Amino acid sequence: MSRGGRHAYAALSVFAAGALVLTGCSKGGSDASDNNKKDQENAKRQQSSIKFGDAADSTGPATAVAGAKSGGTMEVLQRDSFAHLDPGQIYVSDEMALSQLIHRGLTGYKATSTDGKQHEVVGDLATDSGTTTDGGKTWKYTLKDGIKFDNGTPITSKDVRQTFERLFAPFINQGPTYIQQWLADASGADYRKLLPDGPYKGKHLASNVLETPDDKTVVFKFKSPHPDLPYALAMAGYSVVSQKGDTKEKYDKSPVTTGPYKIQSFKSGKSMVLVKNTNWDPKSDPIRSQYVDQWDFTFNQQFEQSTKALLADSGADQTGISLSNQVDAGNLSNVLKDPKMKSRTISGYQPYVGQMNINMSKPELKDIKVREAIAYALPVTPFVRAFGGTDAMEVAGGLLSPTVSGYDPNFDPFGKKKKPAGDPAKAKKLLEEAGKLNMKLTFGYINTPEGQQYSTAMAAGLKKAGFDVQRQEIPAETYYDQVSKLDNNYDIFHTAWGADWPSASTVLPPLYDGRLIADGSQNYSQVNDEHVNSEIDRINKITDPVKSAAAWEKLDQYLLTKVVNVVPTAYYKQIQIAGSKVGGFVYDDVIGGVDPRRLFIK
Amino acid sequence: MWIRFKRDRTGVISAFIVLIFFAIAAAAPLIAKAYGKNPYTVYADERPELFDSAGVPIQPNGGISGEFWFGLEPGNGYDVFTKLIYGIRTSLMISIAVTLAVVITGILLGVTAGYVGGKTDYSIGRVIDFLLAFPSQLFFIASMPVVVSLFVSPTDETPTYVRVVALIVVQWVLGWMSLARILRGTTLALREREFIEAAKVSGASPWRIIRREILPNVVTPLLVQSTYLLPNFVTIEAGLSFLGVGIVEPTPDWGQMFSKASTELVLQNDITYMFFPGVSMIIFVVAFNLLGDSVRDAFDPKSAR
Repeated sequence: MSRGGRHAYAALSVFAAGALVLTGCSKGGSDASDNNKKDQENAKRQQSSIKFGDAADSTGPATAVAGAKSGGTMEVLQRDSFAHLDPGQIYVSDEMALSQLIHRGLTGYKATSTDGKQHEVVGDLATDSGTTTDGGKTWKYTLKDGIKFDNGTPITSKDVRQTFERLFAPFINQGPTYIQQWLADASGADYRKLLPDGPYKGKHLASNVLETPDDKTVVFKFKSPHPDLPYALAMAGYSVVSQKGDTKEKYDKSPVTTGPYKIQSFKSGKSMVLVKNTNWDPKSDPIRSQYVDQWDFTFNQQFEQSTKALLADSGADQTGISLSNQVDAGNLSNVLKDPKMKSRTISGYQPYVGQMNINMSKPELKDIKVREAIAYALPVTPFVRAFGGTDAMEVAGGLLSPTVSGYDPNFDPFGKKKKPAGDPAKAKKLLEEAGKLNMKLTFGYINTPEGQQYSTAMAAGLKKAGFDVQRQEIPAETYYDQVSKLDNNYDIFHTAWGADWPSASTVLPPLYDGRLIADGSQNYSQVNDEHVNSEIDRINKITDPVKSAAAWEKLDQYLLTKVVNVVPTAYYKQIQIAGSKVGGFVYDDVIGGVDPRRLFIK
Repeated sequence: MWIRFKRDRTGVISAFIVLIFFAIAAAAPLIAKAYGKNPYTVYADERPELFDSAGVPIQPNGGISGEFWFGLEPGNGYDVFTKLIYGIRTSLMISIAVTLAVVITGILLGVTAGYVGGKTDYSIGRVIDFLLAFPSQLFFIASMPVVVSLFVSPTDETPTYVRVVALIVVQWVLGWMSLARILRGTTLALREREFIEAAKVSGASPWRIIRREILPNVVTPLLVQSTYLLPNFVTIEAGLSFLGVGIVEPTPDWGQMFSKASTELVLQNDITYMFFPGVSMIIFVVAFNLLGDSVRDAFDPKSAR
């Protein structure tokens, strides 16, 4: 998923009334916290330990949370309103967090430890995480008994068929496309040719693609092996949609839900209320619990606002959380300095990795020496600083995040972990060897307060190495559209990308497969390398997850040492805070934020 | 008149303060050289031991020390002392340029309208009315990006001088009207006086009359008005940079320091930072306004305070 992506950050700086403070003394900054090591250990534990669960693992109810009580209303402060509620359209992290409460898919991630660090993929609506007999080409799922939509109708294989067939309809254009591409055995948007109108004009997927022999059985049949299917099915975008209740475009505003909560009211941009879904059977659900009676969402709460409200901890905010807001950069060190406040926070990695793209379509950047010079010269510290320091960003080595299996903590191709402020001397030497001293470098930066801050300091660092840096502001609302244009003006620009599930197969192919270069594609650096392309094809066929993880990490190292089309900047982390009466407050590594499924009110 | 001004202690002190500010602005590069730093160095990367990972100076009071007299800016860690004197320089240079442009335009149009009268007076008067009716602050914000984008090629960074010129032009276009009106009124009154009649009768050309008879007589309102205008332009310029449409980082600017000071990072971690741009601007604006009062008193001792 691309960070910001279609829903770019509404970077509204609040123009505080400029009251002049005539006197003022301030304490110095905080020392680096010791959270780092713990986060890294936790992330490490996660990457290797996800397994595919069997029928016993997939049986409900979910393990009870220690000390949990039923009842109460949870206040949820969110920055962005939910643009989509139709599962097929959900691909943005805050909507994915919401869907944990209202939608269910064939599989899901079950937390196997109380700290949110260990998971396995289990059957959610299905009895297990899926069975395959031919190395990932054919996958069979059986639906559980007693599963119902919130209107009381039972969930059958017809609904599952509808769920997947409607993804081919033209109005579904925001969600993930992995399974559609696998079913159609096509890349890019070509999969839509398989069923151009979806199921709405009487046509259906043939039984050699998707078979539903009876009410309980669903069989996926792919042309090539896709061992990642249980991961993919766990994405919110593949949650089940009701066949009878499918209202096409209107489903996006009022979907028929399957999770422990249903939507009582939703005022886009203002508020949302979730209440208990009485047709949800805890015995059928190994993943979720239903302690809270009601969820009251309020939107348009900026990070500063939600942090201050939850810090103040008064009235309704005592039972307040935010699913996606983090503690803002300005308050971060204050919150962590105070042990009382700190005890109400949780922290962990987000799936995103920041990277500075080097535009490979520019003739002057075809020389690898120049690209290496950029890589060595680029200071990463400005980026870390702009977002609140090491509690919010960790200097990156490779392109794979610590939450992705295969991550190698010792890989550090440009010495960024030792010299995060860059190595201008070495860069200058490389640039002199290339004979391009004082070459012009157009740096497109996102016009947010953070973007302005880090881009000026990064430009200062690059100038020291002998680049003539020209900074160009790009409006935040259209940032990703502008930089993903093929003939953009920018030599370097920063983007971030997160894995869709803990495997590099959702990171490296979309970003670096040269055959995907197109206007608006995510191959931002426009890299097209024979070896990378062929390795992507080869590794995608490896069925053993451990072996493929190792191969992906090798490809990551090849990209950064032999191609140098991007410079990794930082692994995104975040700290979230809750009111004092919120129980079961745990950071979940797979969700990449607070786990809403086990929250309760003390 | 000069003797009257010298007797006014407030005026003299204010004049000194204002002069010191101008001297600092003019000598900013020299001061920075003697001090051994410049406002563009990213000290958070050069001297990382002075900062925590979020760019907040580790030492109390924003990192004030013998080395960094006014401390370091949270974020990228620019040196506050050099940033402030360079910022004063930027702001004052822009404001002086605007004031000069406004004074010249005001004299030209105001005196012309007042002396020539008739249709000329009418049309200039309507233009003044039209421009005065503009919501100027909103117009500044809306027109600055447009003016800037007119001059810049899409692969280059917007050069600082373009922003400076745009700031000057925008403030000038919407700033000259009140002065022109006052001068028009004064000239209108002067036109009917006997010495002008006498000059006319003796065959002086209109240009000579304006130059030799009218202009010396409008010096008083002109001087008084421009001493009020200049601090006003300084605050407008600072306001625009505060709103992010004026001078942008890394070019130092007074107003931009305020906008930095109002960010959550600075408010929460380093309140001291706000002290330096805030206090210096208050001193400057108050001193300049008091100076304006004294100048008026000196020219026109009869008018009541």
